[in-house]
Amino acid sequence: MSNKTAALGADIAIGVAGPLLVLVLWEALVRGLAVPTYVLPAPSAIAAQVVTDLPLLLGGLGVTLGEAAAGYAIGAAIALALACLFVLAPVLERILLPVLVALNSVPVVAFAPVALLWFGMGPASKIAMVTLAVGFAVFVNAHHGLRAVDESAANLLRSFGAGPLRQMVLLRVPAALPSIMNGLRVAVVRSMIIAIVAEMIGAYKGLGWTIFEATQQVDFLRVWAAIAVASAASMAVYGVVNWLDRRLVFWR
Amino acid sequence: MMAGGAMPGRTIPQPVEAVPETAPPIVELANVSKTFGQGRQEVSALEHIRLAIGRGEFVTVVGPSGCGKSTLFNILAGLTEADPGASIRYGGQPRAAKELLGKVAFMPQRDLLLPWRRVVDNAILPLQVEGMSRAEALKRAAPMFPEFGLAGFEKHYPHQLSGGMRQRVALMRTFLFERDLTLLDEPFGALDALTRSLMQRWLLEVWQRHQRTILFITHDVDEAIFLGDRVVVMTARPGRIKLVLDVKLPRPRDAEIVTSPEFIQIKRQVLAAIEEESLKSFQQATGG
Ligand SMILES: Nc1ncnc2c1ncn2[C@@H]1O[C@H](COP(=O)(O)OP(=O)(O)O)[C@@H](O)[C@H]1O
Ligand SMILES: [Mg+2]
Repeated sequence: MSNKTAALGADIAIGVAGPLLVLVLWEALVRGLAVPTYVLPAPSAIAAQVVTDLPLLLGGLGVTLGEAAAGYAIGAAIALALACLFVLAPVLERILLPVLVALNSVPVVAFAPVALLWFGMGPASKIAMVTLAVGFAVFVNAHHGLRAVDESAANLLRSFGAGPLRQMVLLRVPAALPSIMNGLRVAVVRSMIIAIVAEMIGAYKGLGWTIFEATQQVDFLRVWAAIAVASAASMAVYGVVNWLDRRLVFWR
Repeated sequence: MMAGGAMPGRTIPQPVEAVPETAPPIVELANVSKTFGQGRQEVSALEHIRLAIGRGEFVTVVGPSGCGKSTLFNILAGLTEADPGASIRYGGQPRAAKELLGKVAFMPQRDLLLPWRRVVDNAILPLQVEGMSRAEALKRAAPMFPEFGLAGFEKHYPHQLSGGMRQRVALMRTFLFERDLTLLDEPFGALDALTRSLMQRWLLEVWQRHQRTILFITHDVDEAIFLGDRVVVMTARPGRIKLVLDVKLPRPRDAEIVTSPEFIQIKRQVLAAIEEESLKSFQQATGG
């Protein structure tokens, strides 16, 4: 028990020490070599900029998070439903899976012009792109997990008289949960990236738009401040999903 | 369902006689064969199996591994179709194997407990499949925990249990699925000798109390004789029935019975049959 706590403490210490060391080195390097701000600002300067720009950055973050969350929810829901449907109706899978694979082989960002054309410069186009990106990540993992179920366990349920739907609810979905959670975790970071990139390509609001605008105004410190806020937010959400994963897939 | 007069000698020690003759058999197999694969990869797993099991009987099947015992069970559980020409009668009705799905209580060789379900929830799984509410299923299961040596472990997860306890959860799950025929596939195969012998006696008690019809697979000759009313000896691949022996040992049986002359006499016959078979297949293999 105390051993475990100690190990956990060590893990956290290493987890904190690594980034801290990088920040210190970064700061020292920038100051020591007098690197100009437009090449690379010091972490302390970025932190100060975050504080000054806080209302602006938080406003942008709110918009970006909202788009990412909406796209994430829609994409994950569609992906899970589709994965279940494919396992229940293999005919559908044979028809639709090749289409999905073909779509997935193109980077989602390539769809940005089409998304802007169809859904406009507002949040709808960002949500559509996040939906696509999250959908693929979750679908691939969920589909694999639902199909990789131990056949003997499925046979046991069949011997109890369980049809495909009961097998899905009682066995396949819970057995696929580790795989599904994996997809959901990968999709978190992806949803933030896609939302920001989509905003940089064309938007009225959001962190990506702030980055784009600041670049246009040659305000590199603000660019870095926006990046810092975006990555901090990504890490926080990622942490929450990781925690959820450990709670839900406790038997692993 | 009480079997009444069809089940002599359950409580008063007396020889078990004529069970298959007096009661109509629960299950009757004739000409059951099973071939896997095609052409050069063809494997004949079962050949012309003929077997009838009466209500309340405890029949054991013993044979070397790979002789098709699990295949026979998969057919009886409805999971695998037998080759064309087989006749399977269940409850007097001719049936295709798949019509037996949901009608036979089947415990596969591995315990297959679901790791995300607590012990209780694993045990009531078949009841939930039948559509019973969790609350009602729990009520049904509750009195069985002490009997299966699981009192106090209801809320545990499978990975927290020993091998013997996991098997008892799997057995309890099988017994909660009340069907006319119960199939147990090497339930004690992975247990150490001591636990195994305790579990054998415990299983006999549970069987007598619940009055089930059991078909039990094992590769252990002692276990087959100790448990069974009848022992079915199977040959190495392709699995055929070599010999069926009535075991007229009194019940309840205790551990010492394995040293009794009657037991040893039966064991000698079983071993001789197995010996003869392995010799035959050895000669075939060496071309001698
Ligand atoms: N699904 C299958 N496909 C091909 N061969 C199989 C299959 N199931 C079993 N067999 C073969 O049938 C034979 C009997 O297997 P099994 O019934 O598991 O034997 P036992 O339970 O007596 O050890 C083995 O040779 C095995 O390889
Ligand atoms: Mg087997």
